Amino acid sequence: MKLELKGLTKSYGPLTVLDRVSLSLEEVHSLVFIGPSGGGKTTLLRLIAGLETPDAGEIVINGHPVEYGSEETLREYRKRIGMVFQAYNLFPHLTALDNITLPLVRVHGYPAERAREEALVLLERFQLADQALKKPAQLSGGQKQRIAICRAVAIRPEFLLLDEPTSALDPEYTSEVLDLIGELRDEGMRLILVTHEMGFARQAADYLLFIGDGGLIARGIPEDIFSGSRDDRVSRFLDRVLKYN
Amino acid sequence: MESFIRDIPGRDNRKAHLFSGALIALLLAGVFWFGFSRLGYRFAWGTIYDYRINFLRGYGTTLLLSLFALVLSLILGILFGLGQKSRLLPFRYLSLFYVELIRGTPLLVQILIFFYVIANAAGLNNRFVVGVLIMALFSGAYIAEIIRGGVESIGASQRESARSLGFTPAQTYRYVIFPQVLTRILPSLAGQLASLIKDSSLLSVIAIKEFTMAAREMNANTFSTLEAYIPLAAGYLLLTLPISRLTRLLERKFSYET
Ligand SMILES: Nc1ncnc2c1ncn2[C@@H]1O[C@H](COP(=O)(O)OP(=O)(O)OP(=O)(O)O)[C@@H](O)[C@H]1O
Ligand SMILES: [Mg+2]
Repeated sequence: MKLELKGLTKSYGPLTVLDRVSLSLEEVHSLVFIGPSGGGKTTLLRLIAGLETPDAGEIVINGHPVEYGSEETLREYRKRIGMVFQAYNLFPHLTALDNITLPLVRVHGYPAERAREEALVLLERFQLADQALKKPAQLSGGQKQRIAICRAVAIRPEFLLLDEPTSALDPEYTSEVLDLIGELRDEGMRLILVTHEMGFARQAADYLLFIGDGGLIARGIPEDIFSGSRDDRVSRFLDRVLKYN
Repeated sequence: MESFIRDIPGRDNRKAHLFSGALIALLLAGVFWFGFSRLGYRFAWGTIYDYRINFLRGYGTTLLLSLFALVLSLILGILFGLGQKSRLLPFRYLSLFYVELIRGTPLLVQILIFFYVIANAAGLNNRFVVGVLIMALFSGAYIAEIIRGGVESIGASQRESARSLGFTPAQTYRYVIFPQVLTRILPSLAGQLASLIKDSSLLSVIAIKEFTMAAREMNANTFSTLEAYIPLAAGYLLLTLPISRLTRLLERKFSYET
């Protein structure tokens, strides 16, 4: 995936979260955002997801600029990407299976039977087949999040965006979700991920962006970022989060 | 004694429940008996027998009127409940005015104004239809609020999920919001039906021949006040108690999701 940011700017009222951020990345398979809380990771991810509109600048993915012009073009764009939020992804009135098939049928026009088959194949593959007919309230946090990821990949997205997919979970469920993401990555699914799990970031990322203070404080392959970064804002942050790891 | 009046968790307390239920019923009966004995009232239950056809007709009218009004008020409720969030400003303000005006004034006043001013001007002579319209307008404003609350209770995170999946706003309402709103508001809607049935008794002031009117007529002609109004209360309870049971059942059934 080729990703370019050109002078990307986003403010909320007086607060400029992203200030003329520019970047050009060739062929990155898994891109991970890290950085301090409130730094703008979610904001950047939501801009890439087409859920927010930038105040200035543009995002170009594989040579095509994201068209923020109208809700219709944005919707077409969103149909081609997968998004997983921190929590509360699933629709509580639908079973796990129906959560996956609803967008396939209503948004992507699959016949019901085919949608069902595709969903069951996915659930089977990730050892979730037993949960297919349960409602979200009957599932563990880890199961819910894995099903949310299944729903996002069921549409065969061009890439998958994940915003701290494990941070709302009890620690015991973290690894099952991270394992699933790792598996998808190894199969060639392109991802952009925000995480506070530094071990996972280090292992899963092709490329890291350290976001804070209105822009990119540092960027590079994990080895470079983690082994004595030049910017002391990065090293201070890493010291803090790695203290108990 | 303790085990007779306390609901002890994890034990079969049916006897205690029966005991307390009977106790309260007896207590109430005692209070009424005392009241009536002080009144020195001589019941003449024969009179109501003479008026039974009137009562039954009135009962039927109340039921039918309430059902028609409920259906109509559901339509109004959905329209103006969603209208309060409409981007079409005239429609939004119409919805807001409607809900606030109806909820802010007594039903009695609405009945009189509608009957003497609006129905009169519109040449509406059929009192049953006027009754249905008034009750539908009245109940519709409350249902609008129930629906607005239901829609708002569906978290922003779910709209966001739907948006990220490429749903149109119409699809989001159709497949994500409405199914959940419906299950959540069913208990309140059942409660609204019970209120509708009771509140329709006020229609007797414009001489619609519903249940309460039957009692008023009998009372006016025979002065057997209590013989008319006690069966009236029982008749309303016969309708509202099952609805209230149903409401509780629905509440329990749909408490699965948060
Ligand atoms: N819709 C909004 N309205 C106003 N301010 C917002 C909004 N969304 C985000 N912000 C602000 O923008 C800043 C960046 O937020 P963002 O969510 O992108 O940070 P983050 O890096 O994802 O932080 P965290 O690690 O805590 O999730 C924060 O100060 C936040 O309060
Ligand atoms: Mg965030």
